Amino acid sequence: MLIGGNATTLDNLSPGETGKVVRIDGGRGLVMRLYQMGFVPGAVIKVIVNRGVGPLVVDIMGAEVAIGRGIARKIVVEPTKGE
Amino acid sequence: MKEIRVALVGQPNVGKSTLFNVITGESARVANWPGTTVSKYEGEITYRGRKIHVVDLPGIYGLSTLTIEERIARKYILDNEADIYVVLVDAAIPEKTLALALQVLEITPRVVIVFTKMDMVHSRGIHLNLDGFSNRLGVPVIGLSAAKGYGISSLLDAIIDVAEGHYSKSPYRLNYGDLEPYIGSIEEILRLYSDKVKYPIRWTAVKLLEGDSELMDELRELLDKDAFRRIEDTIRDAEKRISESLQEYIAITRFSHLMDVCRGLVLRKKLPSHTASEIANIFYSPIVGPLASIGIILAFLIIAFTINTGFPLTLIMERLGFEEGAALLEHYSISSLMGTAFEYLGALIRGAMGEGPDTSLIVDGVLGGVGTILAFLPLIAIVSTGFAILEDSGVLPRIAVGTHSLLSRLGLSGHSIFPVMTSFGCNVPGVLVTRATPNAWERLKLILTIAFIPCQARLIVILALATAMGPLGGLLAILTYLIAITVFALLNMLMDKAIKHEKQVEILLELPPLHKPLPRVVWWTVRSHVTHFLSKAGVVILAASIALWFLTSFNFNLSYVGNVEDSIGGAVAGAISGFLTPFGIGGARATVVALSLIVGFVAKELVVSALLVSTGAETVNEAFRMLDLSPAQIASLMIFTTLYVPCLATLITIYMESRSVKVTLSATALMLSVAYITSLVIYWILSLFF
Repeated sequence: MLIGGNATTLDNLSPGETGKVVRIDGGRGLVMRLYQMGFVPGAVIKVIVNRGVGPLVVDIMGAEVAIGRGIARKIVVEPTKGE
Repeated sequence: MKEIRVALVGQPNVGKSTLFNVITGESARVANWPGTTVSKYEGEITYRGRKIHVVDLPGIYGLSTLTIEERIARKYILDNEADIYVVLVDAAIPEKTLALALQVLEITPRVVIVFTKMDMVHSRGIHLNLDGFSNRLGVPVIGLSAAKGYGISSLLDAIIDVAEGHYSKSPYRLNYGDLEPYIGSIEEILRLYSDKVKYPIRWTAVKLLEGDSELMDELRELLDKDAFRRIEDTIRDAEKRISESLQEYIAITRFSHLMDVCRGLVLRKKLPSHTASEIANIFYSPIVGPLASIGIILAFLIIAFTINTGFPLTLIMERLGFEEGAALLEHYSISSLMGTAFEYLGALIRGAMGEGPDTSLIVDGVLGGVGTILAFLPLIAIVSTGFAILEDSGVLPRIAVGTHSLLSRLGLSGHSIFPVMTSFGCNVPGVLVTRATPNAWERLKLILTIAFIPCQARLIVILALATAMGPLGGLLAILTYLIAITVFALLNMLMDKAIKHEKQVEILLELPPLHKPLPRVVWWTVRSHVTHFLSKAGVVILAASIALWFLTSFNFNLSYVGNVEDSIGGAVAGAISGFLTPFGIGGARATVVALSLIVGFVAKELVVSALLVSTGAETVNEAFRMLDLSPAQIASLMIFTTLYVPCLATLITIYMESRSVKVTLSATALMLSVAYITSLVIYWILSLFF
């Protein structure tokens, strides 16, 4: 269930694209872990590596984080322009 | 004056252990957090006449109860174990790492915030207004660089300041907007139980609304049914009032508060560039990544082990026809040189003291034990150096990410690639570098099972036994290796299924920026591994060697006997030889085999020499003929010796790393039972054909 015309999931963003976290579609534990890592609604994620298969590597608040693809599919983002 | 107790808090990668080592220096020591296998680092420093005791809490991302590390850190803070909490913030990624500081501030005001890695800040074009942070947060904020060694005394001054009472008396307060009335209601209820609820009231209220199940369970016990139900009702009302989940609302509130705190205080002149990290992106490539990762580690391990014993390079050289070169390399390898030195020393002593129990004690017992310890030191030092370089530079976590999907099919995580590969050379450094795994549960699994991986010494035994099998021997050797590796992987997979722990199948890992490894940090790691091995494992190995020498040189009358068969060890071998009956081996033959297996516990290579000595044979082939062993029996023996027990040094290293007798005994019991069952099954299958 997506809100707004633009929203997609993190695994769909290409390297170089940025997105703002809308929400996390996951269980309590995963959601907590992601919030703690900085993936809070409103936070901006920039994709560094996304090869369509395997983990993604993103920049969140200046830190480089590797995310498994399954987890990335649960992070709903709204693509944004620029840094 | 009273000792000041300080706890270091911070996210992983923030530079906590570097700061800890710089402050505590030689006094640093490690133990286990009670009831866990998580390492607890403590140390002291005396500054301006005050004794400061420092505890390094495990690196955490938050104060919930998701991981064992979080539980440990949270409990420590809530139980008020320290006088002052020093929270580390990475100056290069200030907003992300400050989040934890705010969470700590909501619990206690006795905090000093430290911005580490200040030396990196300038080159990255970041400007930080530390005084501004101090004003907004109401606590001292110190900038320092543990790596370069400046700012430490300012930190210690601030610690003493806070210890002397210069801090705000009430915890920092975050405004949770629409949730405030509900927080207030819960606070009121909790205040009635202030004698039972030892935690900060407001913090507890917020946590309950956030859905902290451990706190809920705790309070369900402590409070009256009625009071607890009122809290549950309040939470339900809050859920109705707020459109998002409470967990999300609180996270968003904290985040926007964090941004408010940082606003205007963090100025970035340059766009962060990831060029150095971009080169490392090769590790994430689905095919090249794992290959490059394994390649780098393999190259390093080949060098490390070649320096130590010449193998595997000597094997390659022999195959290529450079036998002379191979022999030369082996002769001048560290292991060989040390062996020669000890032999020379042993001969000297024998010459001076003549033969007899005393001489044997010194040469075989003491010298043998010391020799064993020293034999492992160069290897440990070399492997630790490589490990520290890979880890500190930031390459190791990237390798972990790259190999993770491959390894997770084997019930392992990417972090285990280095310890697993090392163990193929030798289990002792393999167990030591299981520290590569940040997750305590994964590390425990590894420590329990890594000895199944056949090391160099076992390869020698496998090859020696294979020669007695003719052409089939080579095939059997390969099969044995595969069985061992399969057993290792299966056990790891089963343990994940059997024990519902914080299993993290998917990777979610912060990667520190790539940088030149600091020689200082590498040195600390190597020095720590080597000195721990010497002081902890070393003593035990020496004692065990002497004990084993005694058991294999003396009989029950406590008189010295020249050979193993007549000793206590020999009698034990006779007693357990009954276990070999299902393999069709009985009587005196069984005792010989059992004896060589017992001796093999000290060092696997000794199995072969024990067999030769006991039978008086010159080759393994001859020994097997004399023992009348069938191919099926030889095959099952090969498998058994590969799987049955970690060698003495490995066993003691397991104890040293886990600091738990339970873990050490479990690993041994696991190996013995798996080895017995597996070799028995192989025997039954093979004896149908041979």
